[in-house]
Amino acid sequence: MASSERKWALVILITVLLAYILPYTIFTNVSAWYGSFLLWTGLTIVIIGVNYFITKDWGK
Amino acid sequence: MTTTYVWSAIVIYIILALFIAFLSRRGKQTTMDSYFLGNRKLNGFVSALSYSATTYSAFMLVGLAGLTYNGGVGALGFELIYLIGVSLVAFFGPRFWLAGKKYGYVTPSEMLGDRYQNKLVAVVVSLSSCLFLIPYSAVQLSGVGYLLQGVTNNAIPFTTGVVIATLLAIVYSYIAGIRSVAWTDALQALFMVITSTIVVLIIINRLGGFDGFFHTLETERSELLTVPGNGYFSFTTFLGLTIPWFFFSLSNPQVSQRLFMPASLKSLRTMLMGFLGFGLIYTLVSVIWGFTASLQFPDLSNADLATPTLLSSDLVPPVLGVIVMVGIMAAAISTIDSILLTLSSLFARDVYGNVKKNTSDQMQLRIGKLVIPVIAVLAFLFAQMELNLIAVLSVSSSAGLLVVVPAIIGTFFWSKGTAAGVLTSVIAGSFLVIMLEVSQTTPFGLASGIWGLLISSLLFLIVSLLTKAPKKKAHEFLGYIKNELRKKT
Repeated sequence: MASSERKWALVILITVLLAYILPYTIFTNVSAWYGSFLLWTGLTIVIIGVNYFITKDWGK
Repeated sequence: MTTTYVWSAIVIYIILALFIAFLSRRGKQTTMDSYFLGNRKLNGFVSALSYSATTYSAFMLVGLAGLTYNGGVGALGFELIYLIGVSLVAFFGPRFWLAGKKYGYVTPSEMLGDRYQNKLVAVVVSLSSCLFLIPYSAVQLSGVGYLLQGVTNNAIPFTTGVVIATLLAIVYSYIAGIRSVAWTDALQALFMVITSTIVVLIIINRLGGFDGFFHTLETERSELLTVPGNGYFSFTTFLGLTIPWFFFSLSNPQVSQRLFMPASLKSLRTMLMGFLGFGLIYTLVSVIWGFTASLQFPDLSNADLATPTLLSSDLVPPVLGVIVMVGIMAAAISTIDSILLTLSSLFARDVYGNVKKNTSDQMQLRIGKLVIPVIAVLAFLFAQMELNLIAVLSVSSSAGLLVVVPAIIGTFFWSKGTAAGVLTSVIAGSFLVIMLEVSQTTPFGLASGIWGLLISSLLFLIVSLLTKAPKKKAHEFLGYIKNELRKKT
């Protein structure tokens, strides 16, 4: 695994952990659209960005 | 919803899909490579849509909407964690692709067999895929049956729906192999996502726009906006659901085989990015769909009725209701035909090709084509029988397929992995998952998939360390991938 891959894998791992932990802790009583709904959507958008950067130079 | 409406929509859909399928025929599909992988020349756009249609089945607008109806926003978390897991493609995608091109692999299990230098590995892994995926297809077929029966008040009987779905899946795979599957998938994916998005926007608009919609949700059903909320999504349930799906892009051969097909790494990239965008939209649409049902019809006896009830309600204009219904049917069929094609390639290449000595590529292709209708008929019969075991195998398919993940990771990242390690982890892991599912036990509150993954990982590690690894192959294989990755990315 290349070092840039390791760096991105770490970012993904942290994002995944946040996706498990936050909704069951600080957002567990926030019953509004800006609670878990926004959090999970936001984290997915972050991940789409990460994938964009990992694959940026493919085939170049 | 009138039966005439439904029939006309189905007929129009079939004509359009067949037209696309025939258009997709280019060149002759006379080799395993061309028939099952499109000569490894699929463009990025079609790959992205086809990957989406294959992944997203009738589960989304029926099952996920039902899950949202029952448990609220946890359903969104579940499906988005799956989507985040598709990032695995960013790591494994180019590796699969490079290895496939260099060694001519047609199936993921063929790759495992060669990398671990043992034909039995390929046979066992492909048979375990069939064991879980044929029942899974059967349940998809029944889904179409129930949907048509439900929206037409029994005017279209269950069996008619199942027969239509089975025949279409066979025809789409037969016309030009993966090319017709990919192109009809692409059409169906666009159809699924566009129609359902339009309908959700219309419904939200009728319920007072996004502000009004969320305001009603926050005041009337606030428990649906948090986890564990009403208790449905306890943390262990959430973990049990998400872990198997996180690895779906590796564990399920109908999608991992797709990593062999793109024409270039650039196409592979388009496939990944396109799918992630598609997945986010379709997930949000399906979850909002479920929320809407829970606001409008809070007292349904069964969450699976949420979508049929919403479709036949005044909130959805009848014509659009029929169109979305066809979209759901298309979602199911586009999943089944891809599974059908993948399983036939697994059988022809890995079972027939290894059990019978000296088979030619053409002979394997002939067997593969012969097997397509056989598997379809098996799935059809399972759908008709409504056996308990079939339902259990289908529910446990994501968990059961998970046990091959340690071996796949080892293929690319661990030179000490051995065939004995793969065989014990896959056989014992599958057996464990099935036993837990049949007996409905969840030791320490954890679901079968988590146990399957834990035990298969441990077995793979321990048995591999105790046996002799195919060192020469491992070094050659891993070295090649490392060098090429350095050059190409």
